Amino acid sequence: MNETNHIYQPTRREMLRGTSCGFGFLALGGMLNAGTTYTNPLAARAPHFPAKIKRVIFLYMAGAPSQWETFDYSPELEKAGDKETSADPTGGPGKRNGKLMAPRYKFEPRGQSGLQISDRFPHLEKHADSLCILNGMHTDSAAHPQASLFLHTGSFTFVRPSMGSWTVYGLGTENQNMPGFITINPPNTGGAQNYGSAFLPAPYQGTPVNVGDDMVPNIKNPQMNAVDQRKQLDFLQTLNRQYKDKAKVDGELEGVIQSYELAFRMQSSVPGIIGIEKETDATKEMYGLNDASTKTFGTQCLLARRLAESGVRFIELGNDGWDHHNNLTQRMANNTKAIDQPIAALFTDLKQRGLWDDTLIVWGGEFGRTPTGQNGDGRQHNSRGFSMWLAGGGVKGGMRYGVCDPLSGAAVADKVHIHDLHATMLHLMGLNHDKLTYRYAGRDFRLTDVYGRVVTEILS
Amino acid sequence: MILKVLSLSFLALVSAIAADVKSPEPSMSRESLEFFEAKIRPVLSQQCYRCHSAEAKAAMGGFRLDTRDAIRTGGQSGAAVVPNRPAASLILKALRYEGPKMPPGGQLSNDVVSNFEKWIAMGAPDPREAEKVEWKVSTIDVKKGREFWAFQPVKKPTVPAGKNAWAKTDIDRIVFENYKAKGLTPVADADRRTLIRRTTFDLTGLPPTTDEVEAFVADRNPKAFEKVVDRLLNSPRYGERWGRHWLDVARFAESNGRTRNYLFPYAYKYRDYVIQAFNQDKPYDVFLQEQIAGDLMPSATEAEKKNRIVATGFLALGAHDLNEQDVAQYAMDVADEQINVLTRSVMGLTVGCARCHDHKFDPIPTTNYYAMAGIFRSTELKTGLERRPKNRVSYFQEERLITLPEEVIIQPTPEQIAARTELLAKKSDAESRLLQLQRRQAVDKVQATLQEIRGIENQLDKLPRGAVFAMGATDAKTMVSCKVNLRGDPHKLGPEVHRGFVEIATPDGMIVPEIGEGQSGRLQLAEWLTNKQSPLPSRVMANRMWYQLFGRGVVRTVDNFGKMGEMPANQKLLDFVAARFMDNGWSVKKTLREIMLSRTYQLGADYNEANFNKDPDNAANWRMSRKRLEAEAVRDSMLMISGNLTLTPPKETPVSRLPKQAPINIRFGKVVSRYENSATYRSVYLPILRGFIPLVFQAFDFPEPSETKGLRDITTVAPQALYLMNNPFVLEQAQGAAKHLLEKPLEDSKRVEFAFEQVYGRMPTNVELKQSLGYVRSSAEEASAAKKEQESWARLYQALFASAEFLNRT
Repeated sequence: MNETNHIYQPTRREMLRGTSCGFGFLALGGMLNAGTTYTNPLAARAPHFPAKIKRVIFLYMAGAPSQWETFDYSPELEKAGDKETSADPTGGPGKRNGKLMAPRYKFEPRGQSGLQISDRFPHLEKHADSLCILNGMHTDSAAHPQASLFLHTGSFTFVRPSMGSWTVYGLGTENQNMPGFITINPPNTGGAQNYGSAFLPAPYQGTPVNVGDDMVPNIKNPQMNAVDQRKQLDFLQTLNRQYKDKAKVDGELEGVIQSYELAFRMQSSVPGIIGIEKETDATKEMYGLNDASTKTFGTQCLLARRLAESGVRFIELGNDGWDHHNNLTQRMANNTKAIDQPIAALFTDLKQRGLWDDTLIVWGGEFGRTPTGQNGDGRQHNSRGFSMWLAGGGVKGGMRYGVCDPLSGAAVADKVHIHDLHATMLHLMGLNHDKLTYRYAGRDFRLTDVYGRVVTEILS
Repeated sequence: MILKVLSLSFLALVSAIAADVKSPEPSMSRESLEFFEAKIRPVLSQQCYRCHSAEAKAAMGGFRLDTRDAIRTGGQSGAAVVPNRPAASLILKALRYEGPKMPPGGQLSNDVVSNFEKWIAMGAPDPREAEKVEWKVSTIDVKKGREFWAFQPVKKPTVPAGKNAWAKTDIDRIVFENYKAKGLTPVADADRRTLIRRTTFDLTGLPPTTDEVEAFVADRNPKAFEKVVDRLLNSPRYGERWGRHWLDVARFAESNGRTRNYLFPYAYKYRDYVIQAFNQDKPYDVFLQEQIAGDLMPSATEAEKKNRIVATGFLALGAHDLNEQDVAQYAMDVADEQINVLTRSVMGLTVGCARCHDHKFDPIPTTNYYAMAGIFRSTELKTGLERRPKNRVSYFQEERLITLPEEVIIQPTPEQIAARTELLAKKSDAESRLLQLQRRQAVDKVQATLQEIRGIENQLDKLPRGAVFAMGATDAKTMVSCKVNLRGDPHKLGPEVHRGFVEIATPDGMIVPEIGEGQSGRLQLAEWLTNKQSPLPSRVMANRMWYQLFGRGVVRTVDNFGKMGEMPANQKLLDFVAARFMDNGWSVKKTLREIMLSRTYQLGADYNEANFNKDPDNAANWRMSRKRLEAEAVRDSMLMISGNLTLTPPKETPVSRLPKQAPINIRFGKVVSRYENSATYRSVYLPILRGFIPLVFQAFDFPEPSETKGLRDITTVAPQALYLMNNPFVLEQAQGAAKHLLEKPLEDSKRVEFAFEQVYGRMPTNVELKQSLGYVRSSAEEASAAKKEQESWARLYQALFASAEFLNRT
């Protein structure tokens, strides 16, 4: 949106806003009190330093996928398979039998880089050279809800804003006709707090949608056509302008007027953005929309591409059911099948549309699983070592970073904590995680609390 | 009660701490240490640490055995080791496989077990210190800290003397003095229509009716405005609005939130208590006392007793992590939540910051935090929810509520009693089956049994219980004083601090109530807070009143009066109002009345360039600021104008009809939105489930109800516009208003006037009248002849509802 202040008078706040430090907090100050100027809280803002990427697509695999069957190749575990171990497969509650369990699937080197990926990803393996696999992830809890909150908000002790909310708070969003942070099919694990804005103002909270739902509430008038509604809006805006003129200097009222124009534009643009029916058959086929097993996640991925294209800042896609305590072999096959082709299609599509270089894709669960087996064909929770991967702009491809010890299950080298992941994601968006702060209850809060290291080793 | 002057108790505290900072085991002999190193440590480290140490992130059963403090603190079921008392030491039971069988891989030899027995009998000598986190005595100079304005006792300032033609009241004289200092001149007074709309919204959250507007405009009585203010203060609508302001700071919600978002089915009673307290103008000091220690206060009647128990719901409404595995951590988190909400809402202080270290900005040593934590550790919350219940079916347990003394109880019939007994037997049977299935890891059958148990519980819910429940606080069975948790870690302990208060908020010479051994200290805490010398509660509440009436607190950061908060724009003014508040017997109504009868409150909202250049934020109140209506006021006003508003409060809440036995999910969210769109009650009665607040609330900046938030954000975003343009609820209210309008035998121009007066409290200008008539005539050309008339007036109303003038009060 074009922010015009018809009567512009610089105030102390305005001048402060022009200074370089703490831009977010100060900009916000403007919108919290009736003042002279209207500051759209969602207007796109310059980052702290030039950004590598403009948006994030986060593929959240709720339930915590096993790294040993997906992206962590361990010949040692293959060899040690099904042996008693004195290793320390520490995880959450529950029984463990202390026997190592060999990976249920074969790994092969893929692509030019020879990156090892299990045979569960026949489509995604073609993009092996684009993947930056983090094998040394670790987090603070091995219980699903807590770890899910930790992954999303950097805390399970307190109610804190989601990383998507922080991102939109820091950068605003590029398309004022759409919410800045959308989460499609959010899993129950962690609940609404996963995408909540906590103490950040309400416009920064994520908009949860299920495939098939109204993606943007109240986007259509159930009674009036566009012509009649425009007529009503013209009358309304006349009243608004007269009211504003009476108030003389009042930027907030200008904001109200603009918000109606924006809402009206959204009504015509949003259905176009979220309607996938106009996509070609070839595209639908590519995303797996014609196959029952891939249809749901395929639709999510296709929507993600459309949202990315339209300038949405943070997009999360939820996929549930990775908590493989038993029947791992079969369930892993089902879960990976559901996401493999859709993710590969998303990669291809982003690349061919020139969106790849300014999009970061993040894949992973709230923690990983033990090298030891459970219930014959399952694995326990493991917060001390797991895998995620990044792909897209700003990160190296065909790379494996970090080591998880296949005997103890703990990350042992090039470890990346969730706080580090957050710091790195913000860094790629041009935000310094130390400086992206919000003052609340007398303290400046950060997504990374007092932690976080940008993992420079994986940056391209 | 024994009373002590603070300076003495402070010295006592310091010396107590100094005495506590000593090497805790000076008497360990060489032989006893050797025994530990040879016989005990190897077993612990080889057999136990895997699951019971700092390394094991989630210590099983909450037990950690890797430090001396931890092994003696214990977990869910008690201390692992009680020095000198083998029989009381759980570790021996476990090693003998009596009860929990540890280690699970196989029982250790009798030799090992008897070594442990011997070691405990020796006094369990144990050199294992927690990882070195040093305890340091605070360097905060509390005495010097008290020089800060907010920590000085409230003294009523002298009102500027001399003739002042402009001023109506003492408040005006103080405000006027500040105008002069800043070179400002007040704008003209508000006209009567503006004033009655302002006053009616401020006191009731609703617009005045056209009759009320006309009557005030025509009233030539010099006390006309006083009459309006008194009428509104006496309206039950007042408590519904001002009670809601308090609910914002009390982080009121009807579900737990967090990882296990179960319902608080009886939270509504606290909400109703708050509304009633404001309507009855309960003195604020009593209001606070009841919420902190109502269960401990003597009551004259059963009704009062009941009310005071319900009031303690304030402490119990927090968002707790019911899935926390570490018992000690959970207990401290629950205490922390109460410290946060209490100190921020009542004192405007962030005492919670002193949990891990001395407060970085305010002079609050961490020992003060643990003095308060002891009070809440000696308090038991009855929320109805259990942390990690053993059967893992439902976190909701009726036994975890307070049973109220109630006048009328629906007694169950003999058949219902029999049915209950039968269901309870079935439930207990299913639960024991469940435990077996869980042991066998029979996943599918576990799920089926869980379903079965939930079903039984839902049936149980439908039977009358013969009891009435509430959430609230009671004293715990044993009183504890907390040890400082070094860096906030409940397993790394520093010196013990006796239960007490925040020293910085006790001015020199103020008498501090002593907390006796058998007392939690809540009663004393309430007494300490509501002492008239207590510098913060009166100021903080006076400032909240000012904020609600003027759109800006005298201290703009209404929840933070510390160093990181803002300084008062006019301290004399704030202190005057705070002093009058106490003079008025802590009456909120009297204080509001006094403020509203000032000329300052009755000023117009006109722009003035010279003033604006000097004070653009209107910190000095040279005019009345425009204020955006809150979500509740927007919704309620539309309901009122449409004629659909139901003024009788609902008997309970839709929450009581939802299943209590399962966590809230997206389906509950749909129930909330359906209710939001169909219920015609005032918005304060809509369900507030954490994570699923009504959509209109989300759109219009309703505060996230997990933490104190006294200052609502005001944002202007497109979803608000979309809501007003397209939401079926809004369309329905516009239709309702149009229908009623058309029932009046009026010409069209009179109809426009009536609608404007309903929505804006004023008549349209000639230009607006022409514009509106023009719009009505052309707005619904496509509608069928039968519907056309109502449709076109409905569209006019909708445009008025969507307009900035309706959404604001000046």
